[in-house]
Amino acid sequence: MVSDFAIETFGLEKIYRSQWSGREIRAVSNLSLRVPAGAKYGLLGPNGAGKTTFVKMLLSAVRATSGSAALFGKDAHHPEARRPVGYLPENHRFPTYLTGYGMLDFYGALSGVEARDRKKRIPEFLNLVGLNKWGDVRIKKYSKGMLQRLGLAQALLHRPKLLILDEPTDGVDPVGRREIRDILNGLTGKGVTIFINSHLLSEVESFCDYVAILRSGQLALEGKISDLLVGRGYRIVAADVPEEALAEIRRLAASAVRTPEGIAVQLATREAANTVIDKIRAAGGAIESVVASTSSLEDLFIAATQPEKAA
Amino acid sequence: MMILGALVADTFQEARARWLFWGLFALSTLLILIFLFVLQVDLTAGAISFLGIQATARRIYSIQKFVNVSYSWVSIALYVWGTFLAVFASSGLIPSVLEAGRISLLLSKPLSRTTLLMGRYVGNLLVVTLNHVYLVFSVWIILGWKTDIWEPRFLLAIPVSVFLFAVLLAVVVLVGVIWESAALSVMAPVGLALISVLLAQHQFVIRLLSSDWSRQLWMFFYWIFPKVFDLGNAMRQTILFDRSADWSTPIWTSTAFGLVALLSALNIFRKRDF
Repeated sequence: MVSDFAIETFGLEKIYRSQWSGREIRAVSNLSLRVPAGAKYGLLGPNGAGKTTFVKMLLSAVRATSGSAALFGKDAHHPEARRPVGYLPENHRFPTYLTGYGMLDFYGALSGVEARDRKKRIPEFLNLVGLNKWGDVRIKKYSKGMLQRLGLAQALLHRPKLLILDEPTDGVDPVGRREIRDILNGLTGKGVTIFINSHLLSEVESFCDYVAILRSGQLALEGKISDLLVGRGYRIVAADVPEEALAEIRRLAASAVRTPEGIAVQLATREAANTVIDKIRAAGGAIESVVASTSSLEDLFIAATQPEKAA
Repeated sequence: MMILGALVADTFQEARARWLFWGLFALSTLLILIFLFVLQVDLTAGAISFLGIQATARRIYSIQKFVNVSYSWVSIALYVWGTFLAVFASSGLIPSVLEAGRISLLLSKPLSRTTLLMGRYVGNLLVVTLNHVYLVFSVWIILGWKTDIWEPRFLLAIPVSVFLFAVLLAVVVLVGVIWESAALSVMAPVGLALISVLLAQHQFVIRLLSSDWSRQLWMFFYWIFPKVFDLGNAMRQTILFDRSADWSTPIWTSTAFGLVALLSALNIFRKRDF
């Protein structure tokens, strides 16, 4: 089944249980997310918010406790679902005994690229990431930035339809960051979905169309960046809003997500904010807070992850 | 097949880069050189002098028998040497692939976890098989060249050593998957092999045990554990043309043990979070 969504998760949850004490840690909780095919999507969240666990669940490195995940409509558990995926992990450890060429050859083979195609593509991709003179050098001699660029070439070699990048510019100097961004920008016209897990707000703001913010394993905010950063907008937090009222609220809002307090709604105009307040009250809900939102992603991030500070 | 081939080739490359591959071959070469040196002694004359073999009509038969006895003991020495050295050399190859940052990238590829682990297992087995072939075949050539008695049964040491290593490697994989410790991956199979040699002395030990339950317990463990001693003994007896050699029991019980260890490792690996 072909899906319009590169990534779809429904009620995804991961609970780690200590073997001895039985203590539970809920790393990701009831996370439902849809990433449209061809989008540039950023996943943000403070440390320990569950971003990497979420990504690892998409790639089946971590087994979900409950819920489901699909890549282009295929169950993410199935190895075939990962065929169109290119992945650059955070804190990667590439085998240092390989040369740059050998590393691309090995991971290319694992991605299903035939030997003849690998021979053609490897020099091309080494050139793309500016490592054409380093192909024969063992990667233990590479700098952090070079490793990151080689990792990107590895993720691109099999021409994936979905690129999942975990902190892609970590350890890369500003010039290298620009180069990586240029490479990624070059992919967007080709219909490649780019999913970036990053703690760099500016990186996500300047590159992505969509953003999701996680807090304590839960989705705190999600939407199109252009809708969320609407100049002087409003953020309403309300409790006890019945499910049937949510559909209409979502239609009016830039984004509306469930939070531990109830729901958090982001609105572009004062009129829309007032209409939504009326609808919440009419449906029996209780307004917890109304905050004038600001235009930067950083403010949105703080509002979503630390509402007490934002208020 | 391409994916399995890539995983096997990667194991070879890692074994070479970690000097395990060359270390194994260097030690094997050293052993071969020692053999060459030892056999500079005139074996035939030495044997005649040592055993007091007389120049009679039975002379040729006696020398043949002496050479076969030598072959059988040399095969045992190579079996023990090769197997233990291979276990030491292989201990790090499983935990290394489970390192965070390496395993998550491997698991993101379109391959099953079973393929990933089996690729490592097969690669490791091939590295060791190559070394065993080199070591045993070289010693066979030297012995044959020196004595002019080319006993092909001596080459049994290759499949028997590889078979035992395959069983012990399953333990290395199981321990590696559970604890990710190279040290423990050596200790467990070596300990197991030593215990199995003790357990194999059941005919003697059982007479010493006073209670029925202790005898049954001894035999229970004897049947469960891989038969390191019995396999070596069957090989020795076969080289000596002893028809009483029992191959079936040590092979099927050791195979069962290896399969259980390997399937357990695969099952744990399939369920683990990385």
